[in-house]
Amino acid sequence: MERMQAARVLFVTGKGGVGKTTVTAAIGQRAAGLGQRTLIVETANDGSLAHLFGHRRLASTPQRLHAGLDAVRVDARELVEQYFAGVLRFQWLSDRLLTSNTFNALTAAAPGITEFLLLEKILGWIEPGFAARRRRYDLVIVDGPATGHAIKLLRTPRTISTMVPGGPLGKIARRLLALLADHQRAQVLLVSLPEEMSVRETIETQEILEGDLAVHVTRPVINRIFPRHFTAPEAAQIEQRSDGALGAEAAVLAAARFAVTCRREAERHVALLRRTLGVNPILLRQLFSPDLRATDLAPFGRTLGRVVFE
Amino acid sequence: MTESSPLPRADGPPTPRLVSKAFGTPRMLSIEAVLRKRLIICVGAGGVGKTTSAAALGLTAARHARRAAVITVDPARRLKDALGLSALSIDPHPVRLEGGTQFDALALDTKRAFDAVIERFAPSPAVAARIQANRLYQELATGLAGSAEYMAMEKLHELLHAHRYQLVVVDTPPSAHARDLLAAPSRLTNLLASRAVSLLQAPVNLLSGTSGVGRMALSTLLKALQRWTGLDLLNDLSDFVTAFEDMIEGFTLRAEEVSRLLKAPTTAFVLVTTPEPHTVETTIGFHRELTEGGFPVAGIIANRVLAFPRLDDAAQVLLELDAPLRAKLLRNYGDICELSRRDRHALKRLHDETKAPLLAVVPAASEAPTSLSGLERFATLLVPASA
Repeated sequence: MERMQAARVLFVTGKGGVGKTTVTAAIGQRAAGLGQRTLIVETANDGSLAHLFGHRRLASTPQRLHAGLDAVRVDARELVEQYFAGVLRFQWLSDRLLTSNTFNALTAAAPGITEFLLLEKILGWIEPGFAARRRRYDLVIVDGPATGHAIKLLRTPRTISTMVPGGPLGKIARRLLALLADHQRAQVLLVSLPEEMSVRETIETQEILEGDLAVHVTRPVINRIFPRHFTAPEAAQIEQRSDGALGAEAAVLAAARFAVTCRREAERHVALLRRTLGVNPILLRQLFSPDLRATDLAPFGRTLGRVVFE
Repeated sequence: MTESSPLPRADGPPTPRLVSKAFGTPRMLSIEAVLRKRLIICVGAGGVGKTTSAAALGLTAARHARRAAVITVDPARRLKDALGLSALSIDPHPVRLEGGTQFDALALDTKRAFDAVIERFAPSPAVAARIQANRLYQELATGLAGSAEYMAMEKLHELLHAHRYQLVVVDTPPSAHARDLLAAPSRLTNLLASRAVSLLQAPVNLLSGTSGVGRMALSTLLKALQRWTGLDLLNDLSDFVTAFEDMIEGFTLRAEEVSRLLKAPTTAFVLVTTPEPHTVETTIGFHRELTEGGFPVAGIIANRVLAFPRLDDAAQVLLELDAPLRAKLLRNYGDICELSRRDRHALKRLHDETKAPLLAVVPAASEAPTSLSGLERFATLLVPASA
């Protein structure tokens, strides 16, 4: 029998609120539409992904969101508890031992344990096990933790394999290292907003991920780009007309000036990112529709798909 | 300010007073009352303008002739430049304003500050060096959740104790949980005193005191941990705990003092937020944790808020303009109104959930202040001179 290939994994990361979940959902939907069996792994657990697809909350085992698209929620603390419960065999024993103080001590004493267990869990969905005749998913998208934690997460296999070279842990660490080093199979996608802090964070993160960790980073995504409503002469005209405007007219003109500044700032930050990293970021426009649903994200999916599946 | 119409003035986005009127939230506690406290702690998610708010509060206090200091953690580079903090320094650095007033600003480097604490509490330089070289210490100092928060609290204690300032404003690091910040002073001592760590330090002693089943469980746990960490780390930990033992008392005392300070009536916690839904949820969580912990929350600063109202007479405006431009203006206005509606909903939810007074609403300016004059403009939006 032909040796089966592992699925691809895509880690989507960025500061909280930049639109990681939106990007994840858009890519997931697009991938499923292209016939790839896709799993979204939600690490934030705030219910936002489920909401996009009209569900209440995700379960801790994969559930179907949409044709060809599954999603699952993982919780770091739950993983650690499961691990030690497995070691201790008896639920009541682990309940007694894993009080919050002991838990804190354990995670501090075993640095990277939560990250490692999360990666191990993900690995289970990516690589076919002994029993599985074929793998379950073609693409696993991790709606990742915020940037700082994502770096820690992706560094963990290396730390563990140095710390524990042998044994079952070391073996898993090596499998993870091989996965992350394979640029065809593992990629990181950074999402930011066209704002200084956010763009700066993307630049720093990309440098660490590509330089230090040697993982493959796709072109970055900048979300919520304000549309360019007005030409430069129009902007000048708006500026001029604002002088002494009153009431409703003043409001309309102030809103226009706000849009002009937003657009200008967005362009400035896109240029900064392009100049510093030497890549063309993927730009997603600000959406104005009242209640965002997964189906509204189809245009984003097509744009992002060109980058992720190219 | 002139008679307030429900519309923004021509010279910019809506004024704060207008916005708070639009949102219908009462100002139970004015921001001026907050500025009369001795300690203001700005709490909020990352990127909401916490540093800017903290700096603006310090600046305003200075304008009111109070000796003020602002402690900030990892500010945006350009703001750092504006405040002259490019050379990140834990020592107070004067920020001079026009008209001769000034306030001090300090930037915190977690690792270096942690080192300083170790040096202060360690019985000898040799012990300090041994701790600092320890692998686990390095993990704790930089990686443990709450270590940056701990350092902010530590520095704060030092500053207030020296009585150099009438007001200290703290810009806290963007932690996922307010409890990381508040538990920070006791976290390290708890960790060191906790059973699992003592267990690693002298497993045999501890095991003799427990029941048969408990002993079995502990030894299994220990083995699991050992398998996890490798022996080196276990030795590191034991070494670390032993070296730390003499310092625990100093740490515990300090933790208690900081905790009292945080709950004092002269302290005000200020939540900084934007109306972005994700951020609002985080802020609601912070508020809950703070109030449950018994910390004095003074209120909320809402930053980057859009407050453009729906227009009834849109058809009548700007009739002299070209039709295409006019159409674009109106469409843009519709878009901005939709964003304003979202902001209004988010702030309403925030208010419903927390019942906390809205201290200030700063309109969206689409760019963060990057110079001292920009910061001064922000400060006048935060604390209107006329209020």
